[in-house]
Amino acid sequence: METGIQALLAPLVVSIVALILMMQIAFKRHAIVSWLLGCTGFILAILALKPMADIVPKMVTPLLLSDQYSLFFSALILFSGLITTLLAKDYLQNRRGENEEFYLLLLLSSLGAMILVSATHVASFLLGMELLGVALYALIAYPERGQLPLEAAIKYLILSGAASAILLFGFALIYAVLGTLSFVGIGQALTQPILEDQQLLILLGTAMVFTGIGFKLSLVPFHMWTPDVYQGAPVPVTGFLATVSKGAIFAALLRLFIDAELYQYQGLMLSLSVLAIASMLAGNLLALKQDNLKRILAYSSIAHIGYLFITLIVYGVLQQPGLAVEAATFYLSAYIITSLAAFSLLSIISSNISETDLDDISHIQGLFWRQPMLALMLTIALLSLAGIPLTVGFIGKFYIFTAGIEGSLWVLLAALIIGSGISIYYYLRIVFQMTMKEPAGGSGAANMDPNSVRLSVLSKFVVWLLIFMMLYLGVLPQTLMEYLGGLSL
Amino acid sequence: MELILFYIAAAVALFATVFALTRSNAAHALIYLIVSLLAVAVIFFLLGAPFAAALEILVYAGAIMVLFVFVIMMLNLGEEGQERERQRMHPAVWVVPALLSTILLVEMVVLLTKFDGPQTGALITAKQVGMSLYGPYVLAVEIASMLLLAGLVGAYHVGRRFRSNDSDEQSIAKPTPESREVNN
Repeated sequence: METGIQALLAPLVVSIVALILMMQIAFKRHAIVSWLLGCTGFILAILALKPMADIVPKMVTPLLLSDQYSLFFSALILFSGLITTLLAKDYLQNRRGENEEFYLLLLLSSLGAMILVSATHVASFLLGMELLGVALYALIAYPERGQLPLEAAIKYLILSGAASAILLFGFALIYAVLGTLSFVGIGQALTQPILEDQQLLILLGTAMVFTGIGFKLSLVPFHMWTPDVYQGAPVPVTGFLATVSKGAIFAALLRLFIDAELYQYQGLMLSLSVLAIASMLAGNLLALKQDNLKRILAYSSIAHIGYLFITLIVYGVLQQPGLAVEAATFYLSAYIITSLAAFSLLSIISSNISETDLDDISHIQGLFWRQPMLALMLTIALLSLAGIPLTVGFIGKFYIFTAGIEGSLWVLLAALIIGSGISIYYYLRIVFQMTMKEPAGGSGAANMDPNSVRLSVLSKFVVWLLIFMMLYLGVLPQTLMEYLGGLSL
Repeated sequence: MELILFYIAAAVALFATVFALTRSNAAHALIYLIVSLLAVAVIFFLLGAPFAAALEILVYAGAIMVLFVFVIMMLNLGEEGQERERQRMHPAVWVVPALLSTILLVEMVVLLTKFDGPQTGALITAKQVGMSLYGPYVLAVEIASMLLLAGLVGAYHVGRRFRSNDSDEQSIAKPTPESREVNN
C-alpha cells in the first residue's frame, strides 16, 4: 500500500492542497493567499513526480496505472496548470468579485486530467473526464458579468453532458458483450472469437465511444461548440481548455485505442480517417473567415486535433507503434506549449487594457509599434502554430509527416499539407494586423498609453519561459525526442 | 414469466419517456419522467439488481425529481398560480401516469410474491456492491467525492453571479461591450 501511495503522490498532493484551499476560503477569503496556495499545489505536485518516477510502472487498484507515459502527461498538465495560475493573478486582479475559487477549480480540473491520463479502466476514464469537465464548466462561467461566459458554459455543459452520455452508452454496449471494463481486458476479450451479431454491438459501441470523444476533442462534425466556448471563456481558462482538456483526453484516448486494440477494426479506421480529413480542412477553412482571435484559435485547434489523429491511423495501418506514439506525444507537447504561449500573450494583452477580454483582431492593430516585444512573441507563437522551421511546431508537424509516410497515408498527408497551407494565411493575417499603423480613432492596443502598460515580472517570466521552450525545442529537439522514444504504453 | 414482466415494464418506460418529452407543461413532463424512472427500477429488479433498483427510486425518482417538482411549483405562486394548480389537478393530467404506476405496482407485487432470482446473470446484493465499491474500486469513490466537490464549488460560484447581479445596480447599468460575429 505504501508504494501505492507513492505511485499516486502527485494526484494526492493536488487533492490535499485543493482541500486546504477550500478550508482557507471557508475561513477567510484572501486572493493572494489562495493564489499562493494554488501555485504551491502545482509546484509540490510537479516535485512529487520525482519519487513517482522511481517506482513506475505501478498498477494502483484496477483503475489507475502510473507509468512513464502518465507521468510525462501529468507533468505537462501540472505545468499548464501552473502557467494558468500565474497568469490568472494579473488577469483576475482587474476584475471584481470573489476570485479565490478560481484556483480551487483549477486544481480540481488538473486532478481530473491527471486521473484521465493514468486511467486504465472505463470507470476511472469517465470519472476523470467528468471531474475535468465539471470544474471547467464553472471556470468558463467564472467572470461575474457579461453574458458570453454564461452562454459558453451552458453550451459546453449541455453538449459535454450529451457527449458523456453517448460515451457511457457505448461503453455499456461493449461491456454487455465482453463483460469487462478494463482497457487491457477489452483488448484480450476481443482476440477471442465473437459471434457476428455481437461484433455489430461492439462496433456500434466503439463508434459511440469515438463520437463522445470526438465531441470532447471537437472533431468535425462535432465541433460546433468550440468557437463559442473559446470566445466566451475568460482567456486563461480558454488556454487551459485548449491545452489541458484536449491534451489529457487525447492522451487517454491513445491509451484506450492501443490497450483495447481498437485499431483492428477497418471500418473504425476508415471513419477516423474521414473525421481527421474533415477536421483538418474544415477547421482551417472556417478559421479564414473569423475576426475574433479566440475564434481563430478555436478553429485552428480543431485542425490541430485533426493532424494528431493521423498518428492513430498510422498505428492502425502498421498494427504496431512505429513512430505513431512518439509523434503523437511530441506533437501534443508542442501544441500544448505553443497554445499556452499564444493564450498567455492574449491574456496579458487583455489584462493590461481593460476589464473585458480584447480578442477582436482590430484590438491588436498596430501592436508592433506600441509593444514590440509582446507583438514579436505573439508572432513567434503563431509561427509555431503554423509549423514554421526553428519552432517546436515545425518539429511536431515533421514528426507527424514522417509517421504518415511510414504508414503510406497519402490522402491524409495531402489534407495535412493543404490544411497547413491554408492556416499560414490566417496566422499571418494576425501578424499583418499587428504591423499595420494605428487606425484613426481606433480602440484597443492602438490607443493604449504606453506608460500605462505594466508588464508584471510574473507575466514576463511566464511568456519568456514559454517562448524559450518553443525555440529551444525547435532548434534542439533531441533531448525530448530521446525521452519520448523511450516512452511505451 | 420474467420475460413478460420485462416487456411490460419496458413498454411502460418507453411510453412514459415519450410522453415526458412531448408534454409542454414542465410539471406534467416531470410526472411522466418519474413514472419512467420507476419502470427502469422495476427492470433493474428483474435483472437481479435490487440495490440498483432501490437507488434508482431513492436518488432519481425520490430526491432529484421531487426537488424539481418543488422548484417548479414554488415558481408558480399567487392567484395565477392557484388557477394553474387547479387545472393541473384535472383528471386528464393524472389518470395516465397513475395507470402506468398501477401497472408497475402490480408487477412489483407479483415479483415480490413469486420471484426466484433473475433469468440470466446472478443476483447482486447490496453487500456485494459495497464490497467492490470499498474494495478494488475505492479510488473511484474518492474521485467521485472530488467530482462532487467541484460541482458544489462551481454551483456556488455560478449561483453567486445571479445574486450579486440583483443587488448590484452598477452591473446592470453598465453593459459590457460585447461584439460578436455571427459567422460560422
